[in-house]
Amino acid sequence: MRPLWSGTITFGLVSIPVELVTAVRPRQTAMKLVDKAGHALGREYHCSKEDKKLSQDELVRGYETDSGKMVVITDEEFESVAPEMSGDIELRNFVPLEQIPPIYFNRPYFLAPSGKSTKAYHLLTATMEKAGRVGIGSFVMRGHEYLVAIIADNGVLRADTLRYADEIRTPETIGLSKRGKATASKVTQFVKIIEDLATELAEDGNPWRLRMVGALDVLPAPTAEILKAAQEKTATRTEGVEVNLAVGYGGRREITDAVRSLLYEQSAAGRTLEELAEILDVEHIAEHLYTRGQPDPDLVIRTSGEQRLSGFLLWQSAHSEFYFHDANWPDFRRTDFLRALRSYAGRQRRYGA
Amino acid sequence: MARAMWKGQLQIGKQKLGIKLYSAVEDRTIRFHLLHAKDLAPVEQHIIRKDTGEEVSKDDMRKALALSAQTAVIVQPDDLEKLVPPESRDIQITRFVAASVLGDQWFERPYYLGPDGDNSSYFALAEALERQDVIGIARWVMRKKRYVGALSAVDGFLTMTTLRRADQVLSFSGIEPAKSVTPQASELKLAQQLVSSIEADFDPSLWQNEYRQRLCKLIEAKARGEKIKAVQPKKKHAPASLEQSLRASIAAVKEKKVA
Repeated sequence: MRPLWSGTITFGLVSIPVELVTAVRPRQTAMKLVDKAGHALGREYHCSKEDKKLSQDELVRGYETDSGKMVVITDEEFESVAPEMSGDIELRNFVPLEQIPPIYFNRPYFLAPSGKSTKAYHLLTATMEKAGRVGIGSFVMRGHEYLVAIIADNGVLRADTLRYADEIRTPETIGLSKRGKATASKVTQFVKIIEDLATELAEDGNPWRLRMVGALDVLPAPTAEILKAAQEKTATRTEGVEVNLAVGYGGRREITDAVRSLLYEQSAAGRTLEELAEILDVEHIAEHLYTRGQPDPDLVIRTSGEQRLSGFLLWQSAHSEFYFHDANWPDFRRTDFLRALRSYAGRQRRYGA
Repeated sequence: MARAMWKGQLQIGKQKLGIKLYSAVEDRTIRFHLLHAKDLAPVEQHIIRKDTGEEVSKDDMRKALALSAQTAVIVQPDDLEKLVPPESRDIQITRFVAASVLGDQWFERPYYLGPDGDNSSYFALAEALERQDVIGIARWVMRKKRYVGALSAVDGFLTMTTLRRADQVLSFSGIEPAKSVTPQASELKLAQQLVSSIEADFDPSLWQNEYRQRLCKLIEAKARGEKIKAVQPKKKHAPASLEQSLRASIAAVKEKKVA
């Protein structure tokens, strides 16, 4: 993608070279104006008095005042008030993201690091993400001055242009009636409806229960929310099998998460680290894995011709049998599955003995 | 008092609630008329064939969708007619999600909703949304277009923000988190100190569109018939090259000497 702007983010004495690219596409594909036969069309300006074609340098821009007077502004005058060219996004301060009302957000752009060193870029991103703060500043692009919020999101910086305060209406300026009192019973009624609709995500009529095995917090928030809701929705189903969905999954991460969860649990129970160290065994970890409560897999089928597991079910597969297959997963057929089962049936399980 | 731009009704489960829609943003763009410099008469736009210069009437204009550099498809008026969704006043709330799930890159245009008759239900819904900390995902048709929006409550009032479509919001994968430059703990600490040294609350009133203000002043001054001092036009918006910066610096020094 070609950058729309390039320059530096500055705050304090730090300056970070960046390139700005769009983060959204227009809703409609651009269409060309043609005549019935498909000839390309263009436009011309004609004088409304003289009815003759005007060239670009015969045109001026005029502003009509409230009293109907036309004030002509020349190109030189436009230039004289234009914002000064600058290659800087100067961050004036850092504010909590949740303090910016959604109404202010106008248009998002990505900021990519440019130049040789990306260290300062990653440093700013990590710092802002950790602090939950976004930088507020302004910059000039194509002759316009923009107010922006610099937001760190999953290791990437975004520059979201903001509307100015005088472009924002309020209920008072619109003339909405004063905030009214709502009866408690009506509020409860709506709360109930909200709760009913909130869990309508997983497809009805399916028998299986879904379980997310993976770190939902590494996924985009909407995705994580949908997966979580799908899991909740299917939790009470009893007739079908349980399907594990490994999204955002990493075996090492799973074990780390399990140990962390174990430590939290034990510390909440008032155990010291020494006490935990004394009693710790395999089952303690297993009880905190994403797959807790499920038996370890008997057979792991690895598709796509790779001869490695890449950390998949690292802990659980300690005694599993493996079956490798050359096809990619979408091309894995029912007969391939049966072949894998036949191979498994012919093996002698040793369970580490 | 602003005029409502549209009226409709929210459909939430079996509940219906009449609302009026108001834009939450005020367009402050300063608009100009294109005039003929000689007689200051307004200009008229004529659509012409690029190859012959022949004027084309509105009825003969079509839109074409480019398939490649050479081929395009002409979209016929009745094709477009078929795409227009059926008219309706209903805003379907299809589900509710946690308020935190939508990042700001999804927000397109904000509106305030005002009650249309049933005030108590209106404020009850706003309170329920605030209490549950959720937003409703809404679908509706307005002025021949389909919209997806987020229904939420702000300070006890309902707002609706139209949302961009999934294929409009891009993800960014161009950045490789290079392992070798992972910031060190000491650097992170310094950066945190720097960030917290200019921490503040969000105060939009601190920022003004200075270009618009200068333009307004210029127009007012000219309307009063004041002479405007011509200012040396600034360099165009091309990125400043070393040569340009050098020349600009030299020019700036010269200007000082003259003055």
